[in-house]
Amino acid sequence: MRLRYIAHAALALGLAAPAFAQETMETVKERGVLNCQVGLPTPGFYALAEDGTWSGMDVDLCRAVSAAIFGDPDQVEYQSVTSAVRFTSLANAESDMLSRTTTWTAVRDTQLGLDFTTVNFYDGQGFLVPADSGITSALELDGGVICVLTGTTTELNLADYFRANGMSFTPVTNENVNVLVETYLGGGCDAYTNDKSGLAARRSAFPDPNGHTLLPETVSKEPLGPVVRQGDDAWANLVRWVVFGIINAEELGVSSENVDEMTSSADPNIARLLGSEGNIGEGLGVSPTFMVDVIKAVGNYGEIYEKHIGENTPIGIPREGTLNALWTEGGIIYAPPFR
Amino acid sequence: MSDAPLIFSPKPDRPAPADTVGLLGWIRQNLFKDVPNALMTLLGAYIIFVVTGAVVNWALIDAVWSAESRRECLDQVGRAGACWPGVAAWFKNLIYGLYPKDQVWRINLGFVLLVLWMLPLWMPKVTSKIGIGLSAVLLYPFLASYFFLGGEKALVWTALIALGLCGLIWVWSTALTETLVEKPLGSWVIGRLGVPEADERRQRQTKLICAALLFVAAFAFVSLWSLSEVRTRLWGGLFLTLVISGIGITFSLPAGILLALGRRSDLPVIAAMSTLFIELFRSVPLITILFMFNTMLPLFMPTGIEVNQLVRAIVAVCLFAAAYMAEVVRGGLQAIDKGQYEASSSLGMGYWQTTTLIVLPQALKIMIPAIVGNFIGLFKDTTLVSIIGLFDLMNMARAIGEDTRWLGLFIEPFFVVSLIYFVFCFAMSSYSMGLERKLATGRDRS
Repeated sequence: MRLRYIAHAALALGLAAPAFAQETMETVKERGVLNCQVGLPTPGFYALAEDGTWSGMDVDLCRAVSAAIFGDPDQVEYQSVTSAVRFTSLANAESDMLSRTTTWTAVRDTQLGLDFTTVNFYDGQGFLVPADSGITSALELDGGVICVLTGTTTELNLADYFRANGMSFTPVTNENVNVLVETYLGGGCDAYTNDKSGLAARRSAFPDPNGHTLLPETVSKEPLGPVVRQGDDAWANLVRWVVFGIINAEELGVSSENVDEMTSSADPNIARLLGSEGNIGEGLGVSPTFMVDVIKAVGNYGEIYEKHIGENTPIGIPREGTLNALWTEGGIIYAPPFR
Repeated sequence: MSDAPLIFSPKPDRPAPADTVGLLGWIRQNLFKDVPNALMTLLGAYIIFVVTGAVVNWALIDAVWSAESRRECLDQVGRAGACWPGVAAWFKNLIYGLYPKDQVWRINLGFVLLVLWMLPLWMPKVTSKIGIGLSAVLLYPFLASYFFLGGEKALVWTALIALGLCGLIWVWSTALTETLVEKPLGSWVIGRLGVPEADERRQRQTKLICAALLFVAAFAFVSLWSLSEVRTRLWGGLFLTLVISGIGITFSLPAGILLALGRRSDLPVIAAMSTLFIELFRSVPLITILFMFNTMLPLFMPTGIEVNQLVRAIVAVCLFAAAYMAEVVRGGLQAIDKGQYEASSSLGMGYWQTTTLIVLPQALKIMIPAIVGNFIGLFKDTTLVSIIGLFDLMNMARAIGEDTRWLGLFIEPFFVVSLIYFVFCFAMSSYSMGLERKLATGRDRS
């Protein structure tokens, strides 16, 4: 008899959880703060400065969502969580959204109770080699010693790539990027592999950045983007359309500098985006002019990119001609229209 | 035959051979006794010279002391010398974490209060040391946690803080009266108020009234001010390490003693439960327990109840440390002769009297090295909380190398962090050695 009560209680608890998840927006509004999960500090995407402020591509998405809800980009509590517990932390409702260079894969999207909203950066795994090694292609790395971060998709991609090309390699693994980089610089391995954005960032901090070459091959697809809990479609919509809004803003030429003038623009696309016409915000549960607040706070996609990882930053990842250029400029950054 | 008594008058001692005394003698005896010995000495000296030389070169001589970014350091000396400006820029974060810089005085004050609270324990004339120690464990946390955490305080919270404040006032007035007039605080106050010594009831009433007045005053005082809230997510650095290990250490000793007594108990249920607890927590690595508490606990909690991540980590560390401490204490208890139990029984002492007055004092004394070893281990184990994303000393050091300005800087921060750990651990072990020497009376059979 008693066992049955316990089973009922457990069931009730289990049922209560999704009901709770339905109301992420309500919870966030009530709390007054958006719990946004980032990773351990990583330059360009979620960097921590010595005064305790967070900044970067992914951090700006947290700020954008906060601006959309509260009209203020700083109502965010950043939760720096290791990658080992990132999904459980989100599933446990400790964080409202996860914005931390997380690759969208089928297994993660379908089996972990998560919803990948959209992509804000297309990354891919590459190899870094010393320039004086004379290696110009990843196919020349057969039999080499490769430094690779342990416990990530990077390690698996590496094995896949070498197997597919009938090559062999000896891995040197560590869970700390800095240890790997020191090993690589000390000559402990022939090549260092990671996502290309990470390789570029690390190379910028080498004693001699020009002494190292990024090989042309990209051996994996790494679409990175914000993630929310499954089962709260309204919340997923908000996060997704804030990102779409930022991309549309760049396409339409709306930036943090001209957004105030643009509110009186005659272009109906801009008018709909900024809420001076129609009420797209209503369907998302935020104010009609939410994109004005968002763009004022973080700028459009191009501005975010150039500010944090563009060529004028220490990270210095060129945008032109890559996947991360707008679709009108040969890339695949594309957002459905605001209408 | 002479009757003169034979008196023994020793010849004056001859001085020891010149090559066995003084510094020279010591060196000769210990370092250059024979050829292999001398060779080993020279080899050892050479190794020390090379290693310290390399470290000094890297850390001091070739090091860069002022730069705006790691790039500048690299341009100046490459990787041959340390780049200290990065560590200097982050040093406050290494100590206080991301705690708001204008509120850091609260942490400092909190630690000063702890020192003040504990200081009377080392004053020779103070007699109420047990009371002072207990109040530090039971009341100080209320005061400290409000200083560190701040925020809104409801009625109960205010009362607890006021209680903490009363505790501090009591500690220092007791220490003062006991040092200056060599009387406990209570009897001194009663003496001053002129309450007749024979009237015990009135004395008790007077003491109670005094305590109540003090509490009301403290309550009023505490209600007057408030501090801004600092969420635990912003706690970090050495401060967080000290908070976690401090609570872990304070909790683990009494809990460990109780568990050890429980395991040796004649009552089967208590013995079984203690054994189960100890074996469960001892056979799982700390990192697993931390992960369990961090990710699984929220699943079991009713929705809407959020247990702070720091609290979860602290609870996990406390339970783990208690299980280990229990086994250390049990080892100490087993070292006490059966005769001691029998002697105390024959004096008519019961279980608790035997335990607290006869067995534990002797057992704890012989356990000092093991207990302190455990404390040091726990202090270092707290670095594991960095894995669940708390910015302790270790994680903070790692964050420096991920700052865009100081990207890749990681040997220097870890060097500094190692020094900090060394200072704390060495202080703990020195203190324990001092304590052992001080208490090494009677039982030393060597």
